[in-house]
Amino acid sequence: MDPGTIVAGILTIAILSFLYGDNPVYKMAETLLVGVSMGYVLVITWTNTLMAVLFKPLFVESQLWLVIPLIFGLFMFGRFHKSTSFLSRYSMAVLIGSGAGVAIPAMLGARTLRQMTATVEMVQGDSFMMIFSGMVVVVGLFSTLSYFYFSREHEGIMGRSARVGTYFLMIFFGTTFGYTVMSRVSTFIGRMDFLLSDFLHLTN
Amino acid sequence: MNSRQSRHLAFAGLFIVVTVTMLLNISIVATVSNETKQMFDYLDGLPERSNIIVSFDHEASSLPEMKPLGLVILRHLFAKDHNLIGVALLAEGTGVGYRLMQETAKEYNKEYGRDYVFLGFKPQFIAAILSMGESIGGTFPEDYLGNTTSEIELLSDIHNYDDVAAVVSLADGSLTTHWIEYGNEKYGVQVSAAVAASMLTTYDPYISSGQLKAMVGGLRGAAEYENLLGIGGSGARSMLAQSSAHLYIILLIIIGNVTYFRSRKKG
Repeated sequence: MDPGTIVAGILTIAILSFLYGDNPVYKMAETLLVGVSMGYVLVITWTNTLMAVLFKPLFVESQLWLVIPLIFGLFMFGRFHKSTSFLSRYSMAVLIGSGAGVAIPAMLGARTLRQMTATVEMVQGDSFMMIFSGMVVVVGLFSTLSYFYFSREHEGIMGRSARVGTYFLMIFFGTTFGYTVMSRVSTFIGRMDFLLSDFLHLTN
Repeated sequence: MNSRQSRHLAFAGLFIVVTVTMLLNISIVATVSNETKQMFDYLDGLPERSNIIVSFDHEASSLPEMKPLGLVILRHLFAKDHNLIGVALLAEGTGVGYRLMQETAKEYNKEYGRDYVFLGFKPQFIAAILSMGESIGGTFPEDYLGNTTSEIELLSDIHNYDDVAAVVSLADGSLTTHWIEYGNEKYGVQVSAAVAASMLTTYDPYISSGQLKAMVGGLRGAAEYENLLGIGGSGARSMLAQSSAHLYIILLIIIGNVTYFRSRKKG
């Protein structure tokens, strides 16, 4: 058997031993998982980010403009000392400013305008079911929005609308929770599939 | 029985249900849902030898769910002789993605560099998606194996999203949203997704708006896709266990509610 499969099998059993209770074997596997994951991400970040994008182009290919992001990056370490912590604000300002500049137009287009268009288009559908679905979506949209509108007391029509909104929210949370449980069960089944077929050869 | 013991008992019960049903070794033919059929038809309808980016946007922890999905998608794409460009927007997806592509390519006698290539991980996923819209070679000067991308045969005619027919995002989180917001919205590249079941409700509105061409989700989605491809796999093999686990959870919910209402009545 492949050594990787043996190690993975033993570690899977170690994690499943939590069913018996919190124990040293489980703790060892849990710590190992965190350590290996961090180590892996660190190596990938070092080779794919710092070396490939910064150090190699700057020091080997002499792309001198990369000194600017290097300095901003070093500023972030200023947070470790009180007297230099203000330096990190410059880096954060660049990071948040450029991030917002890139994200806001894209999110406004993709998440707001396109979604609003799709909501209206559904109401103009060509079949009864399509129009009905569209109407449900519109009612859900406005009632949920009214639930999150806090500038006016939730009384009268506003209160009733907000109440309908909570039903829509509950349906959404319920569905999402159901799918999340399904997802976690799938993860467990996947590990059991590995244990029973690849590791123990009890199934095909 | 205290709450700690009852929790352990509930988990132990799930363990027994799943183990016993898996040992029965019965594959269930899953009824294909409209969503999965739509995804299958969409990928099936792409012209032969289309250039397709497969983005491994998931972590290793979701592998049990993402692997069956990734395998069916890759098998379908390789069977249709498409040119595949693998990338990873999460560091943990890098090794997983390369291994999956390599395994599946072997099944279909595909050659690295000619039929498929794996470019590896790029940090800052928004910057990476935007940068690929300008130049894929510029974003990834080297592939995962350290080869210079300008010397890779497959990439000689692929410069940016204009040369790419579709992006398939294999995601366990919200990364597909970024493909939609930046890849689709800004560069017009068609995006489809294979996602963890927990993300299905998040992406549903994007299907209705047409921003996401198609989507398949969860272990059930993988089983349905295997059914459409006419192949067996871990998806179909796991369906009986999943159905039994769901029945078990429903039973626990009923027991929990009955116990709760009885205790409220008493006291």
